[in-house]
Amino acid sequence: MIYFALLILVIISYLFYFVGKKRALNLKFNGNIKLSSQPDYFGYYVVLMALIPALLMWFGLLLFKGNFQEMFVMSPILFPDISTWSDGKLGLILNKLNNLSVIVNLPLDDLTNGEKSILNMASENELTAAKKLANFDKIYGWSNLTLFIIFPIILGFLATRSISGKLNAQPIVEKIITYIIKGSSYIAILITIGIFLSLVFEAINFFRYVNPVDFFFSTGWNPNRAFVVDASEGFDKDDLENAFGFIPLLTGTLLIATVAMIVAIPLGLMSAIYLAEYASKRVRDIAKPIIEILAGIPTVVYGFFAALSLAPFIKDVGESVGLPVSAESALAAGLAMGVMIIPFVSSLSDDVIKAVPQSLRDGSYALGATRSETIKKVILPAALAGIMGSFLLAVSRAIGETMIVVMAASLRANLTFNPLEPATTITTQIVTSLIGDVEFDNPKTLVAFALGLTLFLMTLLLNILAITIVKKYREKYE
Amino acid sequence: MVEQVNSFAIKTKNVSVHYGNKMAIDDVTINFTKNDVTSLIGPSGCGKSTFLRCLNRMNDVIESCKVQGEFLLNGVTDIYGDSIQVETLREKIGMVFQKPNPFPKSIFENVAYGPKIHGLASTQSELNDIVMESLNRAGLYEEVKDRMDDIATGLSGGQQQRLCIARAIAIRPEIILMDEPCSALDPIATARIEELINELKEKYTIIIVTHSMSQASRISQRTAFFHLGKLIEHGDTSKIFTKPDKEQTNDYITGRFG
Repeated sequence: MIYFALLILVIISYLFYFVGKKRALNLKFNGNIKLSSQPDYFGYYVVLMALIPALLMWFGLLLFKGNFQEMFVMSPILFPDISTWSDGKLGLILNKLNNLSVIVNLPLDDLTNGEKSILNMASENELTAAKKLANFDKIYGWSNLTLFIIFPIILGFLATRSISGKLNAQPIVEKIITYIIKGSSYIAILITIGIFLSLVFEAINFFRYVNPVDFFFSTGWNPNRAFVVDASEGFDKDDLENAFGFIPLLTGTLLIATVAMIVAIPLGLMSAIYLAEYASKRVRDIAKPIIEILAGIPTVVYGFFAALSLAPFIKDVGESVGLPVSAESALAAGLAMGVMIIPFVSSLSDDVIKAVPQSLRDGSYALGATRSETIKKVILPAALAGIMGSFLLAVSRAIGETMIVVMAASLRANLTFNPLEPATTITTQIVTSLIGDVEFDNPKTLVAFALGLTLFLMTLLLNILAITIVKKYREKYE
Repeated sequence: MVEQVNSFAIKTKNVSVHYGNKMAIDDVTINFTKNDVTSLIGPSGCGKSTFLRCLNRMNDVIESCKVQGEFLLNGVTDIYGDSIQVETLREKIGMVFQKPNPFPKSIFENVAYGPKIHGLASTQSELNDIVMESLNRAGLYEEVKDRMDDIATGLSGGQQQRLCIARAIAIRPEIILMDEPCSALDPIATARIEELINELKEKYTIIIVTHSMSQASRISQRTAFFHLGKLIEHGDTSKIFTKPDKEQTNDYITGRFG
């Protein structure tokens, strides 16, 4: 029903555009009236005038549908003890009635056995309420449809009538459009803030069970300790003291990210220099997209590449020279991750190096500098800030990477700086804490939010740093 | 005879330049006398800048560019020959570009860049001397002596261009090529550069591309007029601007085309 109504609304507004424009042109040529805006703007004016009130009302109806339903069916006559219900229970019952209302008016033969048993289980009062609700939905649907057709037509008609030599449509249209695009950007910002706040609140919940000092500074990570106790009985603070120590996760994350950067920085930077300064245009046109494909390979593919090919290879090589290498090593995960982020370094650095003005190269060559002197002494210093920016973006990508580590590193926290040992990362532990059948108010689950918040702040900091550096570099040649 | 050979800083013969299939310079033969300022004039796209960039092989990096003909430095060294490295050549033939292009480094580092690369100074104090002398000769020292460590891109356009000139003379070239060095500058900065060029010709041979005919007549002893890739006329500036041999030159000088 609602999609049908929306379709009609689109058609109506399309027609009104022409009606408005036509009327403006008529005034101009047949009425000899000087218009104060371009004819197009009168078309937009009529469309906006007809459309916006209808959409706002539709949105309002949608927002308050629950309230209307409540007013309509949740009367004390059907549910005598309604005043004692909590909001949660009210919502649950309303939900149940909504489900019932879909099937309550259907002939019995069309119902599945499951649906029949739902009907049988419902009380007489509930069935009455469900029928009322079905009626309400019908009325609601039809009023929506009317709203979408009659209302815009009347408004559009009025708006068309109001077109005259005196009406200046352009500023009105531009103002409305400005509000719309402004609103869109605010929505994106609000969603970001919303995600951040939800992390913060759940993290605060977690810190009610676990002392933040213990979380940030203790070195033991054994979240299953929280699992063996029943959350409803409350936790003994001592039980949790060494269960949620963030430090081994941090070191694991940094260890694997460091291995990745040791791979990605030299390879990425050197290929960027080759592509930007040495490669002919043809080679560059072919090679650059191929390198960028590396970033497009799904991380899960890197994951099993690391787990099934790289890790055994490293183990074999290590053992042949007498080094004890575990089957799941930080090295394998870090290497695969490093390959994945090569294009972040190479592509961004290449762009930055290319952006160094040709006039600086000419200036250096004209002074008798060789190509390598020019690169080392003029181009790289000039592009340094941008290159640093690309490194930082790559690091924040490495820190946030999950899948490769889940598959190739380990789930066991291990406080070590030896890349040949297994290690686990923040992201991996977020995954493991959220899967499984633990209640939501258990610290083992809630720790995911505290970890997520920490990770978010870490990468945010890196990104801000990167953006600041890149910005500084941009101003340099202006 | 020897005297005559040595009086030319650069001799060129039958020079042709192609960009892909397009001909940019067509059979140009011209000699540049030592310690003179020679202006290359002509309408846009006539090939004067292309020709200038052939002289220190700046066209080498352009893949589609093909240069033919004979170029002799001081009458003996083949500019495009195997006996001279392009870096050594550019040490002898400096260049100043149309748009000031200081490196985003300090003023000192900009001037010291060339001497450091070519190992012209063995100690820090020698390097300081070279930088000071070059800035002095470019008429910039007094203006920047208190802020040698400031970034060069913070200077005004005219100062930047004089810094580029100082940078070019810091490696002690014999010849300085200038590609419309004043076109991005205001009249006052232009006057300073012209004054500077006049002083520099005592020590250096200067070849300058310019769009301004009044500039050519003010600063140069010799003038060469290019049109459609051909050298139309070359001679003393006073003669070219008063009674040129070719009608085309006369038309351009008097503003009938171009």
